[in-house]
Amino acid sequence: MLSSLPESFRAYGLAADIRTVLLLRKAMTRGMITTLGDMYNVLKGIVVKEPADMGPFTKAYYAYFLNIDVKTGETLEDAIQRSETFKQWKDTVLDEADKDTDLNMEDLVSRFLDEVHLTSYDIKEVVSGKELFDKNDADQPDEDEEDPNKDPVERELDRMADYSDLSLQELLDRLEKIQKQQKARHGGGSHWVGTGGISPYGHGGAAKNGIRVGGTGGGKMARKVMGDRNFFPIDRDALLNDNNIDAALASIKGVIEESAIEKLDVPKTIKTGLKRGGLFIPELSSDKNEELKVIVLIDNGGYSMAPYIRTVQNLFRKMKTRFAHDLETFYFHNTIYDYVYKDERRTQRMPVEKLLNYDKIYRVFFIGDSAMAPYELNAGSIESLQAIVKKFKKSVWLNPEPLRYWAGTYTIQVMQQIMPMFPLTPHGIERAVRKMNSRTGS
Amino acid sequence: MAETSYWTGSEKYLCDPQLAQAFHMARTLGMPLLIEGEPGTGKTELPLHYAESKGLDLHVYPVGSKSNVEQFVARFDHVKYLRDSQIEILNAQREEKGLDSKLSTGGRNPELLADYVAKGPAAKAYGSPNSVLLIDEIDKAPREFPNDLLYALSHRKFIMPESGEEVSVSEQEMPTIVITSNREQELPTAFKGRCIYHYIHFPDKEVMQQIIEKHYPEVEEKVVKVALDVFYHLRRLGLERAPTTREILNWLKYVREASTEEAIRKIQGLEGIGALIKTQADMERVHRMLGSDPMQFSMN
Repeated sequence: MLSSLPESFRAYGLAADIRTVLLLRKAMTRGMITTLGDMYNVLKGIVVKEPADMGPFTKAYYAYFLNIDVKTGETLEDAIQRSETFKQWKDTVLDEADKDTDLNMEDLVSRFLDEVHLTSYDIKEVVSGKELFDKNDADQPDEDEEDPNKDPVERELDRMADYSDLSLQELLDRLEKIQKQQKARHGGGSHWVGTGGISPYGHGGAAKNGIRVGGTGGGKMARKVMGDRNFFPIDRDALLNDNNIDAALASIKGVIEESAIEKLDVPKTIKTGLKRGGLFIPELSSDKNEELKVIVLIDNGGYSMAPYIRTVQNLFRKMKTRFAHDLETFYFHNTIYDYVYKDERRTQRMPVEKLLNYDKIYRVFFIGDSAMAPYELNAGSIESLQAIVKKFKKSVWLNPEPLRYWAGTYTIQVMQQIMPMFPLTPHGIERAVRKMNSRTGS
Repeated sequence: MAETSYWTGSEKYLCDPQLAQAFHMARTLGMPLLIEGEPGTGKTELPLHYAESKGLDLHVYPVGSKSNVEQFVARFDHVKYLRDSQIEILNAQREEKGLDSKLSTGGRNPELLADYVAKGPAAKAYGSPNSVLLIDEIDKAPREFPNDLLYALSHRKFIMPESGEEVSVSEQEMPTIVITSNREQELPTAFKGRCIYHYIHFPDKEVMQQIIEKHYPEVEEKVVKVALDVFYHLRRLGLERAPTTREILNWLKYVREASTEEAIRKIQGLEGIGALIKTQADMERVHRMLGSDPMQFSMN
């Protein structure tokens, strides 16, 4: 019955496959899944492989098991309040609650979350609910109209149950049955939890004698996850900022030049020689060499570049500490004439000729918006730029300006003629590095 | 039968319920638990305290940049083997020269290759049922190391070098394996797929208070509260290296000798802040943002 799970979880960019389902079934046979909250926890352990998976996972879980679709940028509370599942659940709760008790929306949502994320661990802490299954009759039709004469407490307990004493087959059969009953209401779908109490142990419970459960904060966590960017994958097309700097760093790694040379492996020679009882035959091993030589030229003049300077410096500083290789940073304003500057305030000038004396294997990153008055980009400046590009075959321009303005800016157009230009985003950087690597040699 | 009871921490160790559940799940399913999270969230402490409180054997493999499967599983001691295999000749030569003393192989038999296999933590853990195996900071390992473990993890089996002896363990007796990582490098997907994953979030104020309580029950609550305020304020500054649990514990260790008022005065004056702030750039930042002169204190 969980056969559609991998497909729907994959739609959220998660690595779910048939093994996920098999593991889940294994967990069921070991009695680890007895509530919906358990399902969340176990699946989380199996499916989530890094913090950035948490957001999509929580979304996928709510969509698949509860039919609650959380839209991008929406809080979990809003999505829950919007959903049909919650409305039906709320109606049931309100029916059962004392008319006098005033239940505001916030409390209701919290209670809903508590019930969704209630785990068997919580239950074990409070009560051992063994007799519940006897009362829980799956054959009872899942009617909209409730029998008004029925004891509300009992009905709440009947709806859902702690499945801890069931065998796997019984559990699966049962889930299927509930699913079928709910099909009529939901109009199909693979969701096996719909209306009614999600668990009999509600927080203060619709049933008056419900048990207050402290909860392990699953609901609180789910809420937090939705509101925290760290739990979502990074938008690789967003302009470079403090959040996606590590993604950018990962893309820029590609500039490391790797070479391998064969050399005599002394320890290995000795070791294998000993194995042969003293017959030493030279063993060769390939020695990997990593080389990274980078010149970064940053346009730090004018207001247009100000927001990006710090992030760019951060990126290349991280790059330097992470890969510990030669990295030179120079500054310019709008375009390069005869000098670049060694310091941010542009007081120490360095002639372009000196820059051209660097080894030609250096890779050059120009970082700037390339927006200036057309007269600034005069013949002298273009000559300097062309000289740099000619010397350093691996030169690219990274531009923080949104891509849609490029076509409308004359100076960007001219600059693109001189060297390839990419957006200053993790994705753009990756493309720039690939471009650099493809033009090797010459 | 594997130890699969639900474990929620010990006197010294406060185990977050989410982590306790993931840990329980991993043990029940016989899979390794991969824990990631910021430094100072108690990743390594979990298996150590678990083994201690349950009285189980603990095998630790601290991973380094030179780690390889040989060290982890077992290696064949070529030097000893070579020496022992030469011993009869040596002894004959010694006899010829009239020397009485004889060299011995120390009970090892050169005929039995298994005598020369030096078992690493993994082989030892697989050999003793229901032990605990900690693979610490696997992200420091060379890239191929996690991949080399795949077979052993999914088949619960190691093959010893040279002797060909097999060390295997049934799923029921599978040691509890805990793997920690600081996310310094991404682990291969195939490897992660064989583990139960848990990301430890940095504890909030209430939890931190409980952690401190477990370590220094003698420190006054008032003092802890003031220290926590400063601590979480510092964490919010966006420092390069934000202070962690370890740092605040050290800081409290430093002030705990003083009387309550004295300690609060020390904390508010950021005395001994060197215990919390670890880089020069961060120190300058704290100085700028909090307007005090932390440098002067860190000197003491």
